[in-house]
Amino acid sequence: MSTVPILPDNTIEAPGARAPLVLGGNDFASVTDKVCSIVERPRLPRAWYVAFTISCALTALLVAMVGYLFLAGIGVWGLNIPVGWGFDITNFVFWVGIGHAGTLISAILFLFRQKWRTGINRFAEAMTIFAVICAGIFPAIHTGRPWFDYWLFPYPNQMSVWPNFRSPLLWDVFAVSTYFTVSLMFWFTGMLPDLATLRDRATTRGRRIVYGILSLGWRGSGRHWHRYERVYLLLAALAAPLVLSVHSVVSFDFAVAQLPGWHSTIFPPYFVAGAIFSGFAMVITLLVPVRAFFGLEEIITTRHLENMAKITLATGLMVAYSYGVEFFMAWYSGNPLEQFVLANRAMGPYAWAFWIMMCCNVAAPQAFWFKKVRTTPWTLVGVSVLINVGMWFERFVIIVTSLHRGALPSSWGYYRPTWVELGTLAGSFGLFMTLFLLFLRYGPMIAMAEVKSVMPAAGLEHGPHHGHGQYWGEIPHQHDRRREGARP
Amino acid sequence: MGKEYWRSLDELADTPEFRSLVEKEFPGLAEELLSPQTRRAFLKVMGASLGVAGLAACRWPKETILPFARGPEGRIPGAPQQFATAMDLGGAAIGLLVTSFDGRPVKVEGNPLHPISRGAATAFAQASILELYDPDRSKQVLRREGGQVFASSWDEFAAFAGPHFAELRARKGAGLAVLSEGSSSPSLTRLRTRFAEVFPQARWFEWEPVERDNEREAEREIFGAPCHPQLRFDKADVVVCLDADPLFDHPAAVAHARDFASRRRAEGGTMNRLWCAESVLSLTGAAADHRAALTPHGVEEAARLLASAVLGVEAGAPQDAAAGRFAAAAARDLHAARGRCLVLAGPRQPVRIHLLAHALNAALGAEGTTVSYVEDIDPSRGPHLGGILQFSVAADRGEIRTLVVLGGNPAYTAPGAEGVSAAIAKIPVSVRLGLFDDETSRVCGWHLPRAHSLESWGDALAWDGTWSVQQPLIDAMYDGRTPAELIAVFVGEAASAHEIARETLKAAAPAGGFEAFWRRTLHDGVAAGVAALPAATPPAGGRLRALAEAALAEWEQPSAPASGITAVFVPDARVHDGRFANNAWLQEMPDPLTKITWDNAALLSPKTADSLGVRHGDVVRVKRGERALEIVAYVMPGQADDTVVLPLGYGRTAAGKVGTGVGFNAYALRTPDALYFAGGVTVEKTGRTHGLACTQDHQAIDKVGYEARGQRIADLVREGTLAELVADPEFVRKKDERPVLPVFESPKLIGEHQWAMSIDLSACIGCNACTIACQAENNIAVVGKEQVLRGREMHWIRVDRYFSGKPETPKVAFQPMACQHCENAPCEQVCPVAATIHSDEGLNEQVYNRCVGTRYCSNNCPYKVRRFNFFNYVKNVPETEKMAFNPEVTVRGRGVMEKCSFCVQRIEAVKIAAKNDRRPIKDGDVVPACAQTCPTQAIVFGDLKDAASRVSKLREDRRSYPVLGELNTKPRTTYLAKLRNPSSKVEEG
Repeated sequence: MSTVPILPDNTIEAPGARAPLVLGGNDFASVTDKVCSIVERPRLPRAWYVAFTISCALTALLVAMVGYLFLAGIGVWGLNIPVGWGFDITNFVFWVGIGHAGTLISAILFLFRQKWRTGINRFAEAMTIFAVICAGIFPAIHTGRPWFDYWLFPYPNQMSVWPNFRSPLLWDVFAVSTYFTVSLMFWFTGMLPDLATLRDRATTRGRRIVYGILSLGWRGSGRHWHRYERVYLLLAALAAPLVLSVHSVVSFDFAVAQLPGWHSTIFPPYFVAGAIFSGFAMVITLLVPVRAFFGLEEIITTRHLENMAKITLATGLMVAYSYGVEFFMAWYSGNPLEQFVLANRAMGPYAWAFWIMMCCNVAAPQAFWFKKVRTTPWTLVGVSVLINVGMWFERFVIIVTSLHRGALPSSWGYYRPTWVELGTLAGSFGLFMTLFLLFLRYGPMIAMAEVKSVMPAAGLEHGPHHGHGQYWGEIPHQHDRRREGARP
Repeated sequence: MGKEYWRSLDELADTPEFRSLVEKEFPGLAEELLSPQTRRAFLKVMGASLGVAGLAACRWPKETILPFARGPEGRIPGAPQQFATAMDLGGAAIGLLVTSFDGRPVKVEGNPLHPISRGAATAFAQASILELYDPDRSKQVLRREGGQVFASSWDEFAAFAGPHFAELRARKGAGLAVLSEGSSSPSLTRLRTRFAEVFPQARWFEWEPVERDNEREAEREIFGAPCHPQLRFDKADVVVCLDADPLFDHPAAVAHARDFASRRRAEGGTMNRLWCAESVLSLTGAAADHRAALTPHGVEEAARLLASAVLGVEAGAPQDAAAGRFAAAAARDLHAARGRCLVLAGPRQPVRIHLLAHALNAALGAEGTTVSYVEDIDPSRGPHLGGILQFSVAADRGEIRTLVVLGGNPAYTAPGAEGVSAAIAKIPVSVRLGLFDDETSRVCGWHLPRAHSLESWGDALAWDGTWSVQQPLIDAMYDGRTPAELIAVFVGEAASAHEIARETLKAAAPAGGFEAFWRRTLHDGVAAGVAALPAATPPAGGRLRALAEAALAEWEQPSAPASGITAVFVPDARVHDGRFANNAWLQEMPDPLTKITWDNAALLSPKTADSLGVRHGDVVRVKRGERALEIVAYVMPGQADDTVVLPLGYGRTAAGKVGTGVGFNAYALRTPDALYFAGGVTVEKTGRTHGLACTQDHQAIDKVGYEARGQRIADLVREGTLAELVADPEFVRKKDERPVLPVFESPKLIGEHQWAMSIDLSACIGCNACTIACQAENNIAVVGKEQVLRGREMHWIRVDRYFSGKPETPKVAFQPMACQHCENAPCEQVCPVAATIHSDEGLNEQVYNRCVGTRYCSNNCPYKVRRFNFFNYVKNVPETEKMAFNPEVTVRGRGVMEKCSFCVQRIEAVKIAAKNDRRPIKDGDVVPACAQTCPTQAIVFGDLKDAASRVSKLREDRRSYPVLGELNTKPRTTYLAKLRNPSSKVEEG
């Protein structure tokens, strides 16, 4: 829809100068206009509606699959004894992992004063929320009697029965629900100034009311900004350890079990690295088309993409290292069961899944060593999609190959997913995309206020905080130029 | 059945009167009601069984039980009672003890007072409870005419039979024939004599598809009359089996297994030694110390060489090198164990091999010590094969005008069954008494429902002649009659089955008050002091030796098989000859060796399969002349090359909803000239495959898995030889010298008792009796083939079967595997809702009500003994079969994990009883179902707090070890290492 602007290359590291993060001669008003116009225009291009229809259809499929599951029982999936978990927990870990990039970008990069994060953090945080929603579905539906799921919560009851606090699944419940709550608060808090902008620019009553309620009375006063900055910082500090803890706890589901192939002390860091790896890959996968589609190349610049590719490469190397360590430890431990699990992964009946994983997660990201690949949008997307596929298979490999051949050869089995499981996986993508498309349509997908703080016009480059994207108080000149006809 | 469908109470009750009313009013409906093909009929029958179920629960034997308005003395509602009875299988019975709750039999066990069962029962006997409640059992008299089925009644039948048989009586039974199954019933024998008097010109044929006629013919030659050899495995140091399976496929197998196992525990540093030469891998062969997999020809050769060596006759060069080696080594061993040895030939073997076996026993001094003889139940009966052939001929010629088929299923099981079916169909009046409206009933004019052995009076003799009275546990559910009752009617002396059985016993009872004797017999399950089968005396050794030498001298070298492959027909370990095909427990019970459920398969040795290019699951066409059978193939290690083993009993066309169409009908290739061995068959691939629902080795294994499995078995199933044990008594435990790092604190085990189990792998023969006992005791669901294919079978105790060594000569080990009740249970730690917890008595308890079904416990169980209800498997259990549920055990619904509970309901029952009686619990008071029924007593259960208990001592035994002990799960079930006793003089090949 947009004409491709000729933009300067901001990926070059010039000594003594910071690379610009917003290109194309934008000022505050034009940034506001660009972002808000996506929400405000009466109709989006047809492609959005096509994508939305497909997503809704897939969501309906998810509802149908889950409904069928609830009516008939877990048997409609391909699970068996010994493979008690298959697509269900694979999808859970996959989606939780996807969520990690958002929190990492918004919280950890915030604390590390990485100001390029401002262009992508809102988008990534939204992805986090939606991914965790998708993730949360699977533990809830994977139980044999989902109508008793609430027993996993420690609530006082007449039977004085408490959950088993030694079980990692219970820790999961706490970890994921905490993560979701904090992420949601963080996301929403960060959105307040932008929601207020949308409210202020609203031309219809409905928008005024909805955005008015959502912006919680934000007026942009100095006191508001002050409180806001404090809360944001605190939430960032709260969310930062969660990035590490959630996936560590998820990995405990496996690491705490005695099953060879699961029982491994490297799992927590390995899972966290894998989560960030997959999360960044997902951000790239989504961001590149969205950026092109809505013409946001000036705000989400090639430099942003390149930075993400670099993180993906770094975490990918960590993941590859973890794979290596697993094999090393199996050999070094002298435990024949452990050695068998690893040999069986690489050469057993699920070798195909293992090699998909290796190709996608170890080989594919090596392309990011090349700047050309890092800065070319379509190669970025290609590699990222491969990584997403690989990371899904990683979880599948860990779960299924360890389970299907346990300690007693008499109980070895094989797991094949059924169409219900495939439909549920597709449906979870549908739900994710539906929520995402709605967000693109109705929410400020770029943190306008934060982006403005890293623009030269903010004057923070030479301020007391030396341009780390911090803006204590109202940003000068913010309202110097207003769009014609717009209300203050 | 909703209210709106009721028209009268009679409809609900589905009484015969009501049925006849329906038939009169709506003849069309009646037909639909009876044809199992239509959906409407299905619904109707289901509805009917629903109605019947409600009423059957309150039925009682009319003669003895009074209404509860005046409660019987001493009866406690809800408390289980046990009654002794017996079950006949093909002409020999075992004694049973049936547990009944409020008049509802729920569990069959062996009768401890019975000399054959001694408390143990076969899987068949235990599963008979499900057969009793089978909704597919025939429920009413049927009449077939001109391809149509009409519902009828006993009254109508009586109206027809009365004058018809009166006329036959007048004609002295000319044109009348009876075709019966094998039976040991003294009453039936008595009535048969009466029948012969009333109908002197009538003919009585007997047919059993799996029989021991060759053995009988050899005995007839030697003893003058067939007899029952009584084998004493407890006294035999060396046993040589020539294609025999005395531990599993024998009327006294349960006793043999017990005696055999008693000599496998290396008590006093000695063990027996078992030699087997066979084509098929049998359970006896699996237990053997030395086994030669020989072609049928090779087995004969081994017998000839063995006999020659023992009797000192010049044999000439062996035709089969392996047979020669086997015979030479076995002969040496037999010589060394003179007087304490036993030679057995299997029922498939020809007469001359049996002759040799008898001669060897005589020459080796086995007679009187390890083998003795009692007379046969019916010495005059000729071979079954002759019977069925004569019948066919007579029927074809039109000599039979009236036929009575008592039980059996000749239209399916007879060699050349299609000819027999046609012959029966030609007979003008044919009456069939059967449990099911099956293949034979379909060709008979009248079908009469037969009373199940658990719901009728009767009597039966065990292999050793022990007389048991069958007593009904419940009033006949479907108005059936027994064969004895029917014959009594035909001879014009109508009497109830109760009177008949009483009358027969009265004649044989010792002098004195009969009533007391009768009651004693009913209570004990055995008629004490009644020698039903007197001892038979073997002829002098000289005559036997002469016979054997003559046989050896005249030995015709069997001509080499025409082309390669010989088919061997064997009874199936699950459905026997097909009679249990509609029994879901047995269908889902894995075959002991192949672990196949819900199918039979053509078994091929690995080498033969390779040469034919056949793999697991390929459908092959087995051709024998004009006849051909398409059947799925299974590659069976340890089977003789160039043989194809075809288990009988599958491919039924009218078995019922469970058994119809399951498997492949191997009878199709069985002809009178080849009852057990058919040479010159060809096996070719069809290119199609068939999914085999195996509970172990679900799929063809890859190299990594194959190697790992091979390495692991030695640690899981520890085994050694007697010599190793003597040289180093601690050899089993040395493997456990590993550092153990405690991670979690063990739960506080402060209970008064600490329950534990010990399983002796040396004793276990893999017979599956424990699996079925557990299924019956714990209401374990049947899931069906499709679910087993997905790996969702529900058995709480499975018998793992491992092969080791070369595929041609594998060593077999069985390992019963149920929940190990780990003290450090991995499952307990991971359950998020604490649905699996430890009791203070050391039980790992599964709380079904609390389980949400995350399956995490199963994932974390190293033994993979937990079972998950992936669907609501009990939803479609027919109402009648629900009566077989044990009321002491929860029936699990969908989404819940379950597993072995060490029969906690039995533990609690004993604890309550002991508390009421203010006595301590003795060792042996608490017996889980698996341990109770184990024929070899491999499973021992007890209290570790009692240092003198058997289980405490067995845990300290030098053979005792925990499986996967290195995981530090501290299992409460420990295993005793398997011992083998190979001869030091034989090099393992």
